[in-house]
Amino acid sequence: MKLRNLSILLVLVFVIAGAALAGEVPAPPAIGSTIEEFSLPDVDGTEHSLKSLAGKNGTVLLFIAVQCPVSNAYNERMEKLAEDYKAKGIAVIGINANVAEDAAAVKAHAAEHKLAFPILKDPGNKIADKLGASVTPEAYFLDANNKLLYHGRIDNSRNAAQVETSDLRNALDSALGGKSIEKTEAKAFGCTIKRA
Amino acid sequence: MRTTKTLRLIVACLLLVSLAAPAQKRKYGNAKTTPKPAVPVPVVAAIDTDGLKSLVTKPRERPLLVNFWATFCDPCREEFPDLVKIDKDYRPQSLDFVTVSLDDVTDIKTEVPKFLEAMKATMPAYLLDVTDPEPAIKLMDPRWSGALPATFLYNEKGEEVFKHYGRVDPAELRTAIEKLVKKGDGQ
Repeated sequence: MKLRNLSILLVLVFVIAGAALAGEVPAPPAIGSTIEEFSLPDVDGTEHSLKSLAGKNGTVLLFIAVQCPVSNAYNERMEKLAEDYKAKGIAVIGINANVAEDAAAVKAHAAEHKLAFPILKDPGNKIADKLGASVTPEAYFLDANNKLLYHGRIDNSRNAAQVETSDLRNALDSALGGKSIEKTEAKAFGCTIKRA
Repeated sequence: MRTTKTLRLIVACLLLVSLAAPAQKRKYGNAKTTPKPAVPVPVVAAIDTDGLKSLVTKPRERPLLVNFWATFCDPCREEFPDLVKIDKDYRPQSLDFVTVSLDDVTDIKTEVPKFLEAMKATMPAYLLDVTDPEPAIKLMDPRWSGALPATFLYNEKGEEVFKHYGRVDPAELRTAIEKLVKKGDGQ
């Protein structure tokens, strides 16, 4: 029996190691599942828990980048999103999981593009792995109890002039209005997160 | 008399040199800004979701390899030399190969052909020109997150026989191609 358990364990270890070696991104959690509490350092190295930054009506986690042109095309929209929903009790938190972009670069980029929402660094992309984040920008909307309500893109186009469907805003508005979210997932498009 | 003649000759020579110098400089400057391309600059065609659907599903005589990429995607740029080699080895005899860029449409005549030219890539090149990439991503594979690069291989019947998300292992891709193409067609 013990030998069987050991065999299963070994198989699991090889499967996980194989996936890691192949550079596969873990599958994202299902809509409706609860995201575990975590903490990450900000660009100055101060640790913040999700709980300490969360909004009373929910939280948007945005995986963003310094050098990605798609993520950068969304800078103004992301900042506007944070401003618009702060008053409504939804907090926006940026997460940079790119191994090649250090905290100093993230800090300088935020200052240059006037991103006022908190941005955390995800060293070793542990949270990106936990959430199955694969590109930037990629959004996760959690309710006040950390239940995942929406996952995917911010809207349909990197070109602000061609936006027809603001999927993330629609999800936030539905949740705030006590309605069910019509579209809970939309393919995020952007630059692949460069993992450690 | 001889001194005057010599002086006139020197002045004439100096004039000629002074006139020729800017001309040479201009010529050098022009040559630098508009170099004559050794090979034709690749033409990148716009394609929408319907066009992509038609491209992937239409009946064909040869297997089809489709690679989705973008100039802003590092792993895409890294894998491209391998894809160019595969293209050169198989497309002349036994494989259709197209690339689909997910760059912004404003890059269709600039960054995208510039990169393809640098890679010496000659396979047919498209750029996905849509306001919403989601239908195209779902068309290729509902489970594809849209992360780049992504590579799909179809047989002559239009059936997907291989796909890979992320930088593709060229040996693995070649093995998949070899299974489809006639023995001896590839190199």
